[in-house]
Amino acid sequence: MKGLLALPQWLWAQLRHEVLVLPSRSFVFFAALLLLVLPLFYDDPYVLRIITMTAIFAIFAASWDLLAGFTGQVNFGHALFFGVGAYTSALLSHHLGWIPWITVPLGAVLSMATGFLVGIPCLRLRGSYLSLATLAFPLILTGMLFAFPDFSGGELGISGLKRLVVSTVGNYYVAVLPMLILCFGIWKIGDSNTGLIFHAIREDEVACRASGINTTRYKLLAFALSGLFAGLSGALYAHFMRVAGPSALEVALSFQVVIWGIFGGIATIYGPVLAVFLLYPLTEILANFDMFKEIRLLIFAVIVLLVLLFMPQGLTPWIRDKIELVCPRCKNRNVFTRHQCRLCGAELR
Amino acid sequence: MSRKLLLPAVAAIGLVFSQAVWSQNIKFAILGPMAFVQGENHWAGAEMARDEINKAGGISVGGKKHMVEILKIDTNEIQSVPDATNAIERAITRDKADFLIGGFRSEAVLAMQEVAMDNKKLFLGVGAAASKLGINVEQNYERYKYWFRASPTKDVDLAKTLFAVMGSVAQQIRTDLKKEVPKVAIVAEKTAWTEGLIKAAQANLPKMKMEVVGLWQPSAVATDVTAELSAIKRAEADIVFTIISGPLGIVLGRQMGELQLPAVAWGINVEAQKDGFWQATAGKGNYVSTLDTYAEVESTPKTIPFVKAFKARFKKSPIYTAATYDAIFSLKQVIEQTGTIDAEKLIPAIEKMEYVGTGAIVTYDKRHDLNWAVGKTSGIAVEWQDGEKVPFWPPQTKGMKPFKLPKH
Repeated sequence: MKGLLALPQWLWAQLRHEVLVLPSRSFVFFAALLLLVLPLFYDDPYVLRIITMTAIFAIFAASWDLLAGFTGQVNFGHALFFGVGAYTSALLSHHLGWIPWITVPLGAVLSMATGFLVGIPCLRLRGSYLSLATLAFPLILTGMLFAFPDFSGGELGISGLKRLVVSTVGNYYVAVLPMLILCFGIWKIGDSNTGLIFHAIREDEVACRASGINTTRYKLLAFALSGLFAGLSGALYAHFMRVAGPSALEVALSFQVVIWGIFGGIATIYGPVLAVFLLYPLTEILANFDMFKEIRLLIFAVIVLLVLLFMPQGLTPWIRDKIELVCPRCKNRNVFTRHQCRLCGAELR
Repeated sequence: MSRKLLLPAVAAIGLVFSQAVWSQNIKFAILGPMAFVQGENHWAGAEMARDEINKAGGISVGGKKHMVEILKIDTNEIQSVPDATNAIERAITRDKADFLIGGFRSEAVLAMQEVAMDNKKLFLGVGAAASKLGINVEQNYERYKYWFRASPTKDVDLAKTLFAVMGSVAQQIRTDLKKEVPKVAIVAEKTAWTEGLIKAAQANLPKMKMEVVGLWQPSAVATDVTAELSAIKRAEADIVFTIISGPLGIVLGRQMGELQLPAVAWGINVEAQKDGFWQATAGKGNYVSTLDTYAEVESTPKTIPFVKAFKARFKKSPIYTAATYDAIFSLKQVIEQTGTIDAEKLIPAIEKMEYVGTGAIVTYDKRHDLNWAVGKTSGIAVEWQDGEKVPFWPPQTKGMKPFKLPKH
């Protein structure tokens, strides 16, 4: 009996002392909870579809942040990984008849391998040269797909794919659950020793090498991990949409993820995720109002520009700095209403 | 009844009444990229159909008249495929559309088709030509039977039309220029969709007693093709077979005129279908010809009145996506015939239907594609002659004018 009670007690203690003490963590916790229970009391297929798509793109945005935000390898061709995941899963499903539960993970694995392979030539490049080089990769893959239309479906892609589950609510959970787990996992990677090295590579790669760290290995690891998560999101996208086409490799998608990343705040993981949850449904919400239908993309652009103008670090760091204070002694965060640090007791202001 | 109760009671009755009237409308969701010319024509065609039907009292369903309501659904499909699927989901589940009409970009329409089929909604395609849409119906009838391609004909049939007109142009060259084997230069923009047509042209033209002198594939956004055209001039081509959907069509037309190329351009040139082509080429686009859908000729008895009314209302000629007009009227025909808006009962009626539209005489095959026939669904061919877009094919259609060759 005592053992049975130990787990809930531990969970409650963690929740009380690690999550509910900070507004940002509380927000993420309750938002995740809301996402998990939403279909139980609101099952509008249109809303569930938008959130499903948002969840898929949130994984994609978080994967970009791991590579570009944490490691500083700013990728302008991130749609490559998304497309590789989508096409691998679609082609295996279409040509071999394999079920999506097998092809989706395989799509992610091949995308991880692609990340590793793409990372090799990119090791020699830095800054804007790296970004421009990465821009070329999805274009090359698109050209290859068009060169073999009988195999790849050419301009139309592969359509009529099977879904992982049939029901709308089922599809919702197929996207939302992996999103919550993977985004938490990516955030933990960023918070780990490996994440610290990623940070160090971004800040000063030479110093990092001088400290005895094999930066080549870590940069390749960042490419591979980023490819894995982006590939999984691409594969989920293909089976949710039931189509994997050249639009999964479009330059527009690569830039879209950069916008999400910068809008939300890079090197945060939760920033790009929140950005997707704000920006992706925004255009849909605007489409529901006649007066905004025609100018919704303009409104979208104005909002992004205003945020970047007044919050150059991105939305989430700006909000976080308003609602939380960093302890000058122990560097831990506290809710802005506190006068003393919750951990070391130092004066906060 | 006290005054206090009177107002809410009247309001409630009014609300109930307005709900009843509202629910009597038959809703057609018009799906298209509304910021682009294709979507504008989707909507314009639908507006004309709505106004004409409602002016005549609406659609009779089992003896009861229902007004037509059209919903403008911007799919943004040219820029985003997910936007298109979200839009069609919204039209079905939020706006409660009874019928879906439109679509343009094939990849997006394939994705939208899946959403429509999931919801068992009748979807009349007006804009996408990819064969795959119809193949789906043949391969899995129970799932995809709700799809019909109302316009244009599928890509394979478009090719049939292209070669049929090519044969006619070549024959005129043989007769007028005494050249038994006309020379053809293929100019296709460097995009994926042109590949199939290029292969078909290279295979079929020699069989049609024409010589292919070369293939040129400039970029879809090239701003100068004088090098290609100079080479074509040196090769003494009589026909420039164009496979162009983008602004390259204007560049080609203008520079053919500037170089005084003694050849006609025939094929697909979407820019040449537009009224502004002559101005865009600075008056140099003579002898450029292209496939088209509408002109003031008697493709059907309804064509001329429709084109005139469209021009009068919108101050421009309709393009092929304005066939939403025909899609709505064809549905009106089967709804009145069957007395229902139930998709399951309408499908067999649509499969058997013959509908005389404004641009085609519509009958469907087993893939729910239009049956292709010259003069019925093949569309028309037009040639720019001294600033006017002149229809010249099929020659048996009333109102067609002679095709002109450049001076040699």
